[in-house]
Amino acid sequence: MPPSTDLLQGTLDMLILKAIAGDAQHGWAIAQRIQQVSRNVLQVGQGSLYPALHRLEYKGWIRAHWGASENNRKARFYSLTAAGRKQLEAELENWQRLTSAVNLVLEGI
Amino acid sequence: MLPEWLTTIRFFFTGKNRHEVDEEIQFHVERQIEANLAAGMPLEEARRQAAIAFGGRQRTREQCREQRPSFPMEATLRDLRYGVRGLLRNPGFTFVALITIALAIGANSAVFSLLNQALIRALPVHDPNQLVVVSFAGGHPGHTQSGGGNTPGHAHEFSYPMYRDLRDQNTVFDGLIAAAPVSVGVVWNNRAEAVGAAVVSGNYFETLGVRPAAGRLLQGGDETVEGANPVAVLSFDYWKTHLGEVPVVGRELLINGTAFTIIGVSAPGFRGAVWGQTPAVFVPITMQRVVEPDREFLHDHQSYWLNLVGRLRPGLSSSSAAASLNALFINLRKAEFPNLRDHSERERKDFVDNAHINLDGGAQGFSPMRDQVETPLKIIMGMALLVIAMAVVNVSSLLLVRAATRTREFSMRFALGATNAQVCRQLLAEGFLLGIVGAAIGLAIAPEALKLLIHWMTGPSASQPVFSASIDFRVVLFTMAATLLATLLFSLAPAVQFWNPRLSDFLKQQTGTSVGGMLRFRRTCVALQIGFSLLLIVGAGLFVQTIRNLRNIDPGFETENLLSFNIAPQMAGYAQTAVAPVEQRILDALATIPGIRSAGATNDPELVDDDINGDVIVPGFTPKLAEEFDVELPWISNGYLQTQGVPLVAGRLFSPSDTATSQKVAVVNESFAKHFFGTPQAALGHHMSRPHRPASDAVIVGVVKDVKHVTIRFQAIPTAYTLYTQAEKPTGLTFYVRTWQNPHAAENSIRSAVANIDSRLIVDGLSTLNEDIDNNMMAERTIALLATTFGVLATLLAGIGLYGILAYSTAQRTREIGIRMALGARRATVVGLILREVLTLAAWAIGVSIPIAYLAARAIRSQLFGVSAADPLVYIVAIMVIAIVAATAGLIPSRRAATVDPVRALRID
Repeated sequence: MPPSTDLLQGTLDMLILKAIAGDAQHGWAIAQRIQQVSRNVLQVGQGSLYPALHRLEYKGWIRAHWGASENNRKARFYSLTAAGRKQLEAELENWQRLTSAVNLVLEGI
Repeated sequence: MLPEWLTTIRFFFTGKNRHEVDEEIQFHVERQIEANLAAGMPLEEARRQAAIAFGGRQRTREQCREQRPSFPMEATLRDLRYGVRGLLRNPGFTFVALITIALAIGANSAVFSLLNQALIRALPVHDPNQLVVVSFAGGHPGHTQSGGGNTPGHAHEFSYPMYRDLRDQNTVFDGLIAAAPVSVGVVWNNRAEAVGAAVVSGNYFETLGVRPAAGRLLQGGDETVEGANPVAVLSFDYWKTHLGEVPVVGRELLINGTAFTIIGVSAPGFRGAVWGQTPAVFVPITMQRVVEPDREFLHDHQSYWLNLVGRLRPGLSSSSAAASLNALFINLRKAEFPNLRDHSERERKDFVDNAHINLDGGAQGFSPMRDQVETPLKIIMGMALLVIAMAVVNVSSLLLVRAATRTREFSMRFALGATNAQVCRQLLAEGFLLGIVGAAIGLAIAPEALKLLIHWMTGPSASQPVFSASIDFRVVLFTMAATLLATLLFSLAPAVQFWNPRLSDFLKQQTGTSVGGMLRFRRTCVALQIGFSLLLIVGAGLFVQTIRNLRNIDPGFETENLLSFNIAPQMAGYAQTAVAPVEQRILDALATIPGIRSAGATNDPELVDDDINGDVIVPGFTPKLAEEFDVELPWISNGYLQTQGVPLVAGRLFSPSDTATSQKVAVVNESFAKHFFGTPQAALGHHMSRPHRPASDAVIVGVVKDVKHVTIRFQAIPTAYTLYTQAEKPTGLTFYVRTWQNPHAAENSIRSAVANIDSRLIVDGLSTLNEDIDNNMMAERTIALLATTFGVLATLLAGIGLYGILAYSTAQRTREIGIRMALGARRATVVGLILREVLTLAAWAIGVSIPIAYLAARAIRSQLFGVSAADPLVYIVAIMVIAIVAATAGLIPSRRAATVDPVRALRID
């Protein structure tokens, strides 16, 4: 199921990185968090969430480990690596620049 | 922390296991169910909603897998693995396709290697692009010794004094070198042989930037004064093949009987600045008298014999250098002019005013031979490219037939969820497999093919072949490019056929009926094959005719049982005065050998593309104004014309009573007599001489019939034979013996007879006249042989292709044929139906390719002899061959179709 609002290319990656920036999360929690925080505007479909998680892991930005979930089940938790943290900073900065530029244009015209 | 690329590499090998992914997905769904339950759904509904929310698990699994860094390679490998499996399932098809590609690629690599060596590759010297070949326009009265390669306004031979002045006074070159090819006798370890050599200027190696493989090379200090520099540099090839790479520096080598000190060996791969010549020894220019005892070139301003190559100063353009050099050249010529014999205004204009220097790119070296091989090589390359085009068409139609028989397989795969791209990728993978394996086999056989080609082109006689059977990086690049292009073309053809947006629907409807577009494509393929075959057969026909015509030419004398060889007594160190006497002793000894009918000798061998000519003066004959009329001027022995069997027309031939001291005599041919005197009879008793050489005055005592001389292709030119014993100076001779039986049987007795006289005498180039004639037609013979081979191959392929398409289309039409026969069609009608289809297709293809063949033939007509580019016989034979092949290919499937049992045919499917 695609997100209800189309995410810009690469934005999903940034959202995932941000979602686990504080503490390690498993896939379901990441999806839930993004959905809740965005007040249900952004719905992350499982079809894109897991491939994205795997992609990020292969890139070395996030790390996975098995742990116990909040309901005491075995779950796969994802956390940021050092490279991932740097990547997140870079993407956030990029994002700020982009949005402020877009805003400037929208306000100026 | 692992850097990003290391992580990628780690995952490339390890990946993640499927089990983990499943577990993760399972957790997600269960967590969702819990959440749904918590939201108050009943259990069933919670499960249902969770499953709906998640979507296809398998798809997610696959998408996760596709994220793996190694996924693209895995997919390719899988395609290749399927490809191999698929190809192995049809070993017959795979074999034919591989052989086709390997032959085409092998032939192309071999031919391209020759082309590369002759026309593309630069000399193996330092910065070859800075080199320029120097030539000049303007008169050159006096003596010119040329190896060929001159065109009007581009004479490549300079005198030694002119070279020195140009070298020492120019401001445009970093170095100007001179070289001339010579043939010398070399004695090493008491073994004497005749080898090619080069006289070169002292700065030769330095300017070219060639390094020694051993010892040192010539330097400026090795070119001092005449006769003072008996040092020699060996070529690497000669050192390796003839001297066994023993240490040679400092040792002595006899050249024409004079001791030379070997100072070094040149770098491997370096064969001199002239492509096509393979000198074994390099000696300084100042030793010219030793290597060519019968010539005195060093001080003569009017002996033109040195090829010049300059290295331009960096940053200087060739045109500005030419302008600067030109001024110097004109000044030098002005200074030379007063010393000429002729001071007329006309001569001045020719010698000074019209003179100028040309500088041409010299990266590939100056080469008289390049002009001779360029056109034949380009023709052969053209044919080889036709073969590769043919192979592409053939393999792509084979692949297509294969694809067509696999519609069911593809339908099945589509049904199982394969995408369009996946099926096409599969087809491409099979094509690439065929292309790469075929090309690898082709490249592996290329060196052998090349050896065979070189053998055909140069014959067994050449001891130092000009072409080497080496495959360099350019050949490999060419092969790779050709393979890539060919592979792309033939693998794309079926892929394009299958690339249909609604392919799966299309295929579902297909089974059982014929595929219209595919059939059209394959018809085009067969038409192309027929066209290519026709081109090659016409080419083969034209060259076979050329060879036949050349072989049938009557040179004017009997060529059977005639053996020739060269002996130059100077090469064995004979003094000038001793040369003629020993040559007489050789002739006498030859005449006594059993099995030899007669023997003679000349300095101007027959039919080997050599000539010795010059101007003559005939008292009482006034040439038309400004007429330069060169006649052939061979010096012969008195039994020579008798040995050759040249018929006498008037007067007498030479006889033993014509001696060195008696009245000088000449025998002329009919053309000579006709030009100067009108009739043969009128020529008798007249005198002739060379300009400015009163001692050469001779009286004409006989007239003989014209015989072909330079090559079998050229008409005889006016010729005046004189006796070598009465000549102004001694010369090496080519001896001809007429034997009773197989001339080669006489070889040993000839060698021992000559060795009996003097073991130092070198018998060189033993061959029969017929072999000489054949060698002279080597280019034509090679082209004819290759064109015939390629033509037969192409026709065979076209026949197979035609058979394939007909067998397929006939099989597809079984039901139609069955209906026709059920409705009363007779067998003959059915056969006619199919045959008509074949012949229409063939006629179409022939009709289109005939004009193309004619244009191609016109483009190569300079290489043809006695056959027009529109020779009807050649075209008729070619068309008939194609028609017969087409009819044969069509007959088998059509007969099979005619034996169809209508009842069974209608029950199919």
